Amino acid sequence: MTHSLHRYGTVESQKHDFVWFMYQAKGVNDVNSVEKGLQFIEVVEKYGSENWGDVRTGCKLEHGVEKIKENLTDRSRLRGVFTSKEQVLNFLKDIKERDLGQSVIIAGLLDEIIDACKEAGLKPHTMNYSLGIWGKKELLPEDDVLAITTMCGHHMISSGIVEKNLKLVREGKKSAEKAAKEMAVLCPCGIFNQVRAEKILKEGQEQ
Amino acid sequence: MAVINHEKCIGCETCIPYCPVNAFKKVENQKKVYVDQDICTKCNVCIRGNVCPVDAIEDDNYETFDSTFQHVLSDPTTSLKGSSVPGRGTEEMKTNDVTARFKKGEYGICIDMGRPGIGVRLRDAEKVAMAVAAAGMELEGPECTPLAQLMTDLNTGKLQDDVLDLNILSIIVEGKCSPDKVGDVLKALQKVEKEIDTVFSLGIVARVDENGHSPIIDTIEELGIPKPVRGKLNVGLGRPLID
Repeated sequence: MTHSLHRYGTVESQKHDFVWFMYQAKGVNDVNSVEKGLQFIEVVEKYGSENWGDVRTGCKLEHGVEKIKENLTDRSRLRGVFTSKEQVLNFLKDIKERDLGQSVIIAGLLDEIIDACKEAGLKPHTMNYSLGIWGKKELLPEDDVLAITTMCGHHMISSGIVEKNLKLVREGKKSAEKAAKEMAVLCPCGIFNQVRAEKILKEGQEQ
Repeated sequence: MAVINHEKCIGCETCIPYCPVNAFKKVENQKKVYVDQDICTKCNVCIRGNVCPVDAIEDDNYETFDSTFQHVLSDPTTSLKGSSVPGRGTEEMKTNDVTARFKKGEYGICIDMGRPGIGVRLRDAEKVAMAVAAAGMELEGPECTPLAQLMTDLNTGKLQDDVLDLNILSIIVEGKCSPDKVGDVLKALQKVEKEIDTVFSLGIVARVDENGHSPIIDTIEELGIPKPVRGKLNVGLGRPLID
């Protein structure tokens, strides 16, 4: 899956959008993943991950921390978002110290994630570079819509529902916060950044 | 697949904007909605999201391989048989620190067809797969990536004829190539992007040095492709580590 890589939007907007992952490889290090997953949850909660989840249960915003913990299995892959580089740095330092043996991945602006990795004393291993969108780009929606839909890389948030929410927020019929959270629960992975979405919706309101 | 129970449907049209591929349509001259099954990718966002106020959207059976394949590839909460990875069923580079799927001196190519938010007929996925295979990309096999399960020839990227019209929310054409071929593969993508009726998002996987850099950036710039600003980094904490 590359569902966290190709987020769209201005560099400034993406400075507040990082995705973290905990992954185990089938047949390599997938034993006792539940205990390790619980430790990951402890760490990301400590540093205030705004949204996270396990795709088999759903996201924290919809189901809460305890339900996701209860449903963890050795096959669970946890993932979520941070909104600052400082959170990413603290998370990496803490996870490094615990040495859990799971693969850890951070998606975001290249300069920011490489800096955070090095500052945490880690040696970067493998990068997936986003070369953007190709093909029949005239089919794409407007930039502000795309900035929101691409925060759920599995496309569970349609451009239609983003456009509807932008309109409702602009008309004062729904708050940006409510609209952002409603859209976040459609993304079962928990990597939708509702904080950034709320900001984009508010910018749409001002326009 | 999602179907509308017209006994229950009140024609409020609440469901229409939720569909990522606009498969929900109004029934002409009636206060009802239907799902165009030719467009529907079976992602089930309408069902999981409980978007209908009168529960008129129902999940039909997946009786054929085609509909099951569509559903599993389009719905991230399910897994493809033979894979423990939910969604489109590939670990890509996320576990590369312990699997060495992508080694030093080779590049991984992830062509995320239909993304963002447009969807893809497999006919277009085949066009792209065949273009990059001809340019020197070694396509990944069925043990690594779902699309390969539909290929009749992994060397050419040809798909089974009977699946070409299937509409899927997104599917990844994955493969690897050597540094001397990566320029040709990117040129092939620059050509084939003009021949498809959808979009794709492109990712290039590379092992990086201790400063997080890779020479692939120079190749990208030489071809006039905008320098990437965003990436996904495996920070090397997996154990046992393969350096």
